[in-house]
Amino acid sequence: MITLIILSILPILILYLGLYKAKSALLPVTVAGLLVALGFALAEWNSGAQPIFSGMMLFDNFSIAFSAVTIISTALIVLLSKGFFEKISSNVAEYYAIMLFALAGIVVMVSFYNMVMLFIGLEIMSVSLYILAGIRKNDFASNEAALKYFLMGAFSTGFLLFGITLIYGAAGSFNLEAIRDWVITNPRNVDPLFHTGLLLIIVGMCFKVGAAPFHFWTPDVYEGSPTLITTFMSTVVKTAGFAAFLRLFSASFATLSDFWMPVLLVITILTLFIGNITAVYQQSFKRMLAFSSISHAGYLLFAIVALGAASANSVFMYTSAYSVASIIAFGALILVQQHTGSDSFDSFNGLAAKNPFLAFTLTIAMLSLAGIPLTAGFIGKFFMFSGALSQYHIWLVIIAVVNAIISIFYYFRVIIAMYFRTADRNELVVPGYYSFVLGAAALATIIIGIYPAFISNLI
Amino acid sequence: MSTFYFIAFLSVFFAILVISARNPVHSILYLILTFFTFTIHYILLNAQFLAVVNFIVYMGAILVLFLYTLMLMNLNKESEPVKSTIVKIAAVFGGGCLLVTVVASLKTLGTSNPVVLQNPNLGLVKNLGKVLFNEFLLPFEVSSLLLLSAMVGAVLLATKDKQPKTT
Repeated sequence: MITLIILSILPILILYLGLYKAKSALLPVTVAGLLVALGFALAEWNSGAQPIFSGMMLFDNFSIAFSAVTIISTALIVLLSKGFFEKISSNVAEYYAIMLFALAGIVVMVSFYNMVMLFIGLEIMSVSLYILAGIRKNDFASNEAALKYFLMGAFSTGFLLFGITLIYGAAGSFNLEAIRDWVITNPRNVDPLFHTGLLLIIVGMCFKVGAAPFHFWTPDVYEGSPTLITTFMSTVVKTAGFAAFLRLFSASFATLSDFWMPVLLVITILTLFIGNITAVYQQSFKRMLAFSSISHAGYLLFAIVALGAASANSVFMYTSAYSVASIIAFGALILVQQHTGSDSFDSFNGLAAKNPFLAFTLTIAMLSLAGIPLTAGFIGKFFMFSGALSQYHIWLVIIAVVNAIISIFYYFRVIIAMYFRTADRNELVVPGYYSFVLGAAALATIIIGIYPAFISNLI
Repeated sequence: MSTFYFIAFLSVFFAILVISARNPVHSILYLILTFFTFTIHYILLNAQFLAVVNFIVYMGAILVLFLYTLMLMNLNKESEPVKSTIVKIAAVFGGGCLLVTVVASLKTLGTSNPVVLQNPNLGLVKNLGKVLFNEFLLPFEVSSLLLLSAMVGAVLLATKDKQPKTT
């Protein structure tokens, strides 16, 4: 709770700093505030949390772990923003403030214990993101991204809200525990209303996490938004979306898994194939990352398809691995984009000769995203697949392995471009902040890859 | 019960008129009538607060906004894009699928027992306020974050930059 209060007050503080023109203080204050919030979150670890505010929120280990991942990722992204927002306009404070508002919404989303809180958290996050997607006011792609995201997001919110309403109509409560008890006490004659509501909630949540066939907004929005905002969307927001999805389904609907599991199974397989096969045909690195984020949503859905006690842990592993690797990839993309003005694969040609460190970290990130052993991505995929195998989804795992092999093709294109293609280019200037973030993220990727027990048994 | 069926018929009737009217201004006027029938529904359901809010906010404020937006845009018949035959066939196909699904699901639905309100004063403003400030205090307060974020964002997107950048 203290974390949420800090994250609500911090953006207001930032807005005042912006008002008094304290521009140089914005970044340090934001990072310091995030670290304080992180500290208070971790202090509640294993404190035997009970639902608070008449069952509205529950800050258990699950929510603390996901709050920590999202806060750390946000801090890394904020460090990358040094010098990025200033190029867009002079209202830098507002950008930080809206990002922090989104983070406050995310903390609500990962610790809700009542569907009302889920909805409000999701809306705080989404509304902030609609704005962030469109902050390049003079750029047509950014406008398009914001409008498309807003329309699609509003539509999916409608689905989610309708689903929540129908479930309330059947079960008579918004509380996750009460809904679970209602399902257990009425095992045979669960209302058709409840089933309809459940399907609508699946549709709404799949929209938000960008799973096929509800993924159509993802590539355009990811490509059109400013790259830093895309980083935020594809790491922090995706983590939060899956945490909320998992929490809702494991807390309330676990006993009905016979009903919704086949639906999610089909969605998972579709997501994997659409994400991976479309990514192969992309010429732009940024668009490739957008499709790769769709395919990673497919791998993450494994945890919900094979819902069990280990699901929370595997989602935690996977999202941490995916977040750090994506932050490296997008950070490198921002540097290359600022230098060459293009985000195609060709603009990475010959990067290794001039910037060995940048090329090395990007290679680690790509290996991790592809799931090569000794990186965090491998461990994440390993946890997902073993969870699915323990529930005998053998065909699903075979399909996923085929997809992982396809994904190696497009992830290695960047590595090949950097190391084996030559091009005349000057050395990129890598600012100190970037070196720190890229180095820390690469180190985290390798540490988790070599010694997964470090975080694998937390939740 | 007959009042309900009459009002429900009127809502569906006006809703169909909204989408079938040629003139967009007429469409919006029918939408106002549709919302008015919703207000009557809320009163029948004993939800006075919702009825009043629906009357003031939706019928009053939002539809006036709609009309203003319509006046600012130029919605002539010529500017409407012509839809191709394939799109029309796809639309008929999609609509037919939806119809089949709706009919099939309606056939499986059983009529439930009429819901009896345990507390007949449930929808009164007083009770709503009590629920809002006891049980649902936290969501009520947290939604202020949503409004603040939206407000900051609206101002941010609407202000003009001093020196517009070309990138």
